[in-house]
Amino acid sequence: MSTSMEDVLLQIPQVRYKKSDGTLFLMNQRLIWMVENRDTVAVSHPYADIKSQKISPEGKAKVQLQVVLHNGVSSTFHFINKNGLQSQLADRDKVKEMLQTLLPKFKRKVDRELEEKNKLLSSNPALLQLYKDLVMTEVVSSEEFWSQHAQQYTQKQKQQPQDIGVSGAFLADIKPQTDGCNGLKYNLTSDIIECIFKTYPAVKKKYTDNVPSKLTEAQFWTKFFQSHYFHRDRKYAETKDIFTECGKIDDQEMKKDIQKGVDDPLVNLTEFEDNSLDEGYGIATEKVTNNTGTVSQAMIKRFNQHSIMVLKATKDKTTETSVSNGTGKNSPEKQEGPVNKKQRILEKITYDDLEDTDENTNKSAGQLNLSKVERYLHGPTPDSTTEFLNPNEVSSVLRGVLQETKHWTYKHPPNNLVTPAAAVGALGELSPGGALMRGFQEQSLAQLVPPDIEKEVRNLYLALCELLSHFWKCFPITNSTSEAKLLKMHDALHRFHTAKLKPFEDKLIRELSPLSHHLTKHLNQLLNAAYQKFNNWQKIKGR
Amino acid sequence: MGDEDDAKEYRWETGYEKTWEAIKEDDEGFLEASVADIIQKAKRKRQALKQGSQKLGMMRHLYLILDCSDSMSSQDLKPTRLLCTLKLLEIFIEEFFDQNPISQIGIIIMHNKRAEKISDLAGNGRKHIKYVNTLNQTSLIGEPSLQNGLEMALSSLKLLPSHASREILVIMGSLTTCDPGDINVTIENLKQEGIRCSIIGLAAEVHVCRYLAKETGGTYNVILDDSHFKDLLFEQVDPPPAAGCLESSLIKMGFPHQINVEGSEEPLTMCMCHVDSTSEGSKLTTGGYYCPQCFSKYCELPVECRACGLTLVSAPHLARSYHHLFPAANYTEINFDKQVALCFACQRQFGESDKQIYECPKCKKNILHRL
Repeated sequence: MSTSMEDVLLQIPQVRYKKSDGTLFLMNQRLIWMVENRDTVAVSHPYADIKSQKISPEGKAKVQLQVVLHNGVSSTFHFINKNGLQSQLADRDKVKEMLQTLLPKFKRKVDRELEEKNKLLSSNPALLQLYKDLVMTEVVSSEEFWSQHAQQYTQKQKQQPQDIGVSGAFLADIKPQTDGCNGLKYNLTSDIIECIFKTYPAVKKKYTDNVPSKLTEAQFWTKFFQSHYFHRDRKYAETKDIFTECGKIDDQEMKKDIQKGVDDPLVNLTEFEDNSLDEGYGIATEKVTNNTGTVSQAMIKRFNQHSIMVLKATKDKTTETSVSNGTGKNSPEKQEGPVNKKQRILEKITYDDLEDTDENTNKSAGQLNLSKVERYLHGPTPDSTTEFLNPNEVSSVLRGVLQETKHWTYKHPPNNLVTPAAAVGALGELSPGGALMRGFQEQSLAQLVPPDIEKEVRNLYLALCELLSHFWKCFPITNSTSEAKLLKMHDALHRFHTAKLKPFEDKLIRELSPLSHHLTKHLNQLLNAAYQKFNNWQKIKGR
Repeated sequence: MGDEDDAKEYRWETGYEKTWEAIKEDDEGFLEASVADIIQKAKRKRQALKQGSQKLGMMRHLYLILDCSDSMSSQDLKPTRLLCTLKLLEIFIEEFFDQNPISQIGIIIMHNKRAEKISDLAGNGRKHIKYVNTLNQTSLIGEPSLQNGLEMALSSLKLLPSHASREILVIMGSLTTCDPGDINVTIENLKQEGIRCSIIGLAAEVHVCRYLAKETGGTYNVILDDSHFKDLLFEQVDPPPAAGCLESSLIKMGFPHQINVEGSEEPLTMCMCHVDSTSEGSKLTTGGYYCPQCFSKYCELPVECRACGLTLVSAPHLARSYHHLFPAANYTEINFDKQVALCFACQRQFGESDKQIYECPKCKKNILHRL
């Protein structure tokens, strides 16, 4: 067969399609039918194209299966196994079940992307507007749009969910609620489930083994809480449920850990003792008695086990990352053994606060070498000739000023009023619309613009801003990819100019003639600045 | 404590006291006087350390990591720790952008063992204050995760150019942190990237915070009361000494002129800063700042141009950053010995309560009351 790269998952001979007999093959990616004794594939339907399948109802003489594609085309296969109706039904059922498992896998991939895109567009009106302006008018192609312009939106969803730590009290926090009739309700969130899996990997294994094949999730968790594994007094030898193994595995782990001991040379777990003050301030060592009952011993054992597993849950993660970072870390660590010990002993006998404070290190961190400090304290002074007065001149000027002020008397009434006509003229100029109050004219001009035109202008600005940001990001040009991108963006700008801006300008000229060039002058200015930059770059490149 | 309650009715009836706005000068509350004393001494010590010839990190990129866990609903700071913190942060952000106009702030919160980014690094103070106000509504659940918060800030600060000063300020109200991995690894990474982490603790001193601050060259303090909290926050407003790995480089900046010509000839233009905001879109106006490179218009400075990426500032902004390099000289503190009868500044008589007075170091004549 020519299709040697694909695996044949199922092969059904004696299938009729459009009045000729042949064989139906179900491959990895598609469904094909070949005419008997021929090599060419007559019908081929990739699973991604298939929307659904239909089977003929029970009791009908003809055993058929119909495959409906997304584009509406349907193909009907008639099973004509010579061994009779039963084998025909068996054939068809085999095909049907296989398709049922295969189709969902392919269907979801295609639909999900479209669905995501639709959701993004509907939830972000700004993005929808950009899409309309740029893609519908073919300024930017659809793939470019999704890869470049919508990146910040699509990336929000791809963010990895954060890892969370395991708090020591997570099991206690579950807080059962009584539901009236002697039952307990436990509220499990996905966080708590994650913590349980991290701390007790044995439970996680049991979960993957049993759910969803043997138990549903709810049943699994009910059993978990009911089992004595969870509860205080573990007498798991007696009852038999799926968690007894977990208890045994945990015990084995604990034994291994105790044997491994603690690596720290300064800590000696076996020599811990309680030294309490005796009469007369002597030291009395407590004699270790084994009177503690088995119940409290079991509880202490449970506590220790729980804490060890919680700590291990975090340690596993970091050893994984450190192994991936560098495997050469293990050997230097062993050499540092004795050095480490000395360092730690030194640390314990010195107090940072009592040592010399590190004022000297502050000074070494970056000294400013300023040659002429005055230059920084004054702004740039113009190069005018400064007048220098000597003290005699200063005192004579002062005397002159004092003389002048002696002649100032209070004049009543003041006789330098303006004429009424001039006053009225000044008032007129200062009122809105006058010669001195030109600013208001623009504001009223802005109000003249109807809101839908304003909105269109805003959308134009938005689209242009997006294009320009990608354009300007290309500079400075370092390699061929940025050069290619620059050329593409330049073309996109031109297309935007012709496709969106010019029609808008024409529309304005037709409808609102006085304002037309006002509104688009800035947009043209933005575009011209970009063209100018591009031309300059080309000229430099051409040299 | 019992007296206070009887005098002012129960605590909950008095609403919340703005002790940071009106420092009471009364005889009761012995603790307050000594706390104020401590704050004053610490302030003096800090000012004395400020020398003129140090390289400072001026273009600061600061991430505020706020603890929003269970412990922030405790009421030892009125009305709750979280509300008191948010109020002080508003004041802090305003002051920060006032003193460091070319810097940027981002906000991250930690709750429920996860970190959430509330706002990205940006130079617009008003937007951040708005976000801080919305944090009133966050649910305070779970434990904070210091590692997740630091990792989130690290991933964003790593991408900054080397001439930027990278900082993190953590406000930690809880005594515990629940982390997915080893926090020492995170601290190593922070140290390598030269990110300076300072922490303000609201409850008590925690070893991991002390270690983090020491390793990264930051400061760690635990508050005594809310006025001390304000003081500690404002300590962070001054630019810190430049980190060792801060490289000097030339930074391209634009200095737009404000074009506000009157007359009907000027075109109506829209600003780029509001062009995609849903609440208040751009309006057609004539005035504004035009970027010298690409001519997009902006309402106010400093801002980063959306189209061409150029930092737009005005000269006074740079001058404001400058004055940190040339701090004013400090007054010397001397004991009151009836040298002069009147204070030089306010012309009031010196009383018995002024034990310390301040004298100008240069002319040694002008003597002042208190700072």
